[in-house]
Amino acid sequence: MRDNTVKTLVIIPCYNEEENILAVVRRLQDTCPEADYLVVNDCSTDRSREILSAAGCRYLDLPVNLGIGGAVQSGYRYAMENGYDVTVQMDGDGQHDPAYLAAVVAPVADGTLDMAIGSRFITHEGFQTSFMRRLGINFLSGLIRLLTGCRVRDVTSGYRACNKAMTAYFARHYAEDYPEPEAIICALTEGFKVGEVPVVMQERQGGVSSIRALSSVYYMVKVSLSLVIYRLSRSRKGGKR
Amino acid sequence: MSLILQIVFLLGDLVFLGLIFLLIKRDRLSVRFGMLWLIFGGVWLVFAAVPWLLKVLRGFFRFQVVSNLVFTMLLAFVLLVLLTLSVAASLAARRMRQLAQSNALLEERVRRLEQQLKPGCGPDGDA
Repeated sequence: MRDNTVKTLVIIPCYNEEENILAVVRRLQDTCPEADYLVVNDCSTDRSREILSAAGCRYLDLPVNLGIGGAVQSGYRYAMENGYDVTVQMDGDGQHDPAYLAAVVAPVADGTLDMAIGSRFITHEGFQTSFMRRLGINFLSGLIRLLTGCRVRDVTSGYRACNKAMTAYFARHYAEDYPEPEAIICALTEGFKVGEVPVVMQERQGGVSSIRALSSVYYMVKVSLSLVIYRLSRSRKGGKR
Repeated sequence: MSLILQIVFLLGDLVFLGLIFLLIKRDRLSVRFGMLWLIFGGVWLVFAAVPWLLKVLRGFFRFQVVSNLVFTMLLAFVLLVLLTLSVAASLAARRMRQLAQSNALLEERVRRLEQQLKPGCGPDGDA
């Protein structure tokens, strides 16, 4: 988005999203034609890469599957190398509505926040996810509050905007798998300002979620452990930024 | 320990050390990881040559029998090797991730430049 000279890049991680990816890109282009975008194809095994190539989309093609963390981090590295002011993460499954892009970018562009998270749990409109997932999200939200003192409701939201400093940090340090909650605690303990803005999300438009029933237990254990270890290994740099 | 058993242990350990040297020489094993195995082989060579040392250690650590001490030492060594391998695997995964990302970033830049060089394409790759 180049209004008021804010150069914005939207990172769209993509793994086996042949059903959604083009629609997501087209919708973003139609809604926010000023914003640059970059699809990061995480070594998809379906026709995602062919579809992106044939449509002339801007994309990174990872030679091996790095997981969501590695894919998003590639986008942050791209943003840093190409001097973007604001970097936005947006899922490739159609859950995130580009109509809220300006709302997510605004607090970062005006310097209020270093990272703005699009939260579906402020106005409670639109897709609110299943009861069990909501339970997990509330647990992680409580854990982050306990460890940092800051309340973030939608800790697993992948719809988030970062300024240059935050982008540079994530380009160097970003969790491998299920990185969203860990990215929040990293940002908070490093002294970055993190906040939420209300957004309305939709149910995924097609394809399969990366978090399935069997991996849910692993998800909760891994993320909780990461949060605690990260917090214990670093003292909070309050008021640094 | 009987003399025959002692000779078997000594020869076995020398063969083991020779194998490690050979793997390092042929670049199948890096010196960094081979070092741990060489230290292990060296320690067992000393114990095989001077079994009396094991009896001293057994008394010092109050093990009932020498075999318990030997198995405990072996277990500790195996755990150390596993931990070392986990660290190495984590480091390798991080490096592989950085390399894959750099490769993808370069590939995108090359693709963009190739597009720009195509006849009839503008500076932004637009036809």
